[in-house]
Amino acid sequence: MKIETRNFGALEIDEKEIITFCTGIYGFEEYKEYVLLYDDDIGLPFMWLQSVKAKDVCFILTDAETVGITDYAPHLSAETRIELKLYGDDEPVFRLITVVPEHFTDATVNLKSPVVLNPKNKLASQVILDENYPIKARLVPQTEGAK
Amino acid sequence: MLVLSRKAGESVYIGDDIKITVVEFVGDKVKIGIEAPKSMTVLREELYQTLSTNKQATENVNSQLLRELAQSFKKAKLPNE
Repeated sequence: MKIETRNFGALEIDEKEIITFCTGIYGFEEYKEYVLLYDDDIGLPFMWLQSVKAKDVCFILTDAETVGITDYAPHLSAETRIELKLYGDDEPVFRLITVVPEHFTDATVNLKSPVVLNPKNKLASQVILDENYPIKARLVPQTEGAK
Repeated sequence: MLVLSRKAGESVYIGDDIKITVVEFVGDKVKIGIEAPKSMTVLREELYQTLSTNKQATENVNSQLLRELAQSFKKAKLPNE
């Protein structure tokens, strides 16, 4: 299927790649279907969560390792595990919504409300964790930003 | 910030329309009851902030900025490789 994207123009995507949000991203509940896009030029750790319906609904995601957290495996509620059909040893994938302001060194990631994805069935959800993580964790350490 | 001491079951009014009641204490949590006009949005702080950062996240479109950001990461990581 063909979709319009915010940063990559029109793209042909495989419908099997579509990620479905059961309840949607907070504030964007009407948009349920997204695809993950990568830019070979920019490369990891950044990826785009692009709505298949609205080209302007697009989030930049990264993972916790980008902010130096290698053991980010927050506890999910039973409700979330059921919603995403995570059974037994099924491991979810956590991705963080990134805010990139004009001074990109002030970019932040939301560790408190990650996007959780079940890679097996491509069901996803944004959850607000009970754990005490910051909503605006700096992506670039302060000292580097000051250079 | 105004700080008031209240016992469980006691309330505070904000203006004429908003009543906040301390319902009970459970472990390290306080249950708070809020009575307010329907037109008022009541959100937990983390939800309010998540909504606003989600909105900000979709506002910033500039690919060039992201390219620079990604570049700064590549540079930062080089010495460890």
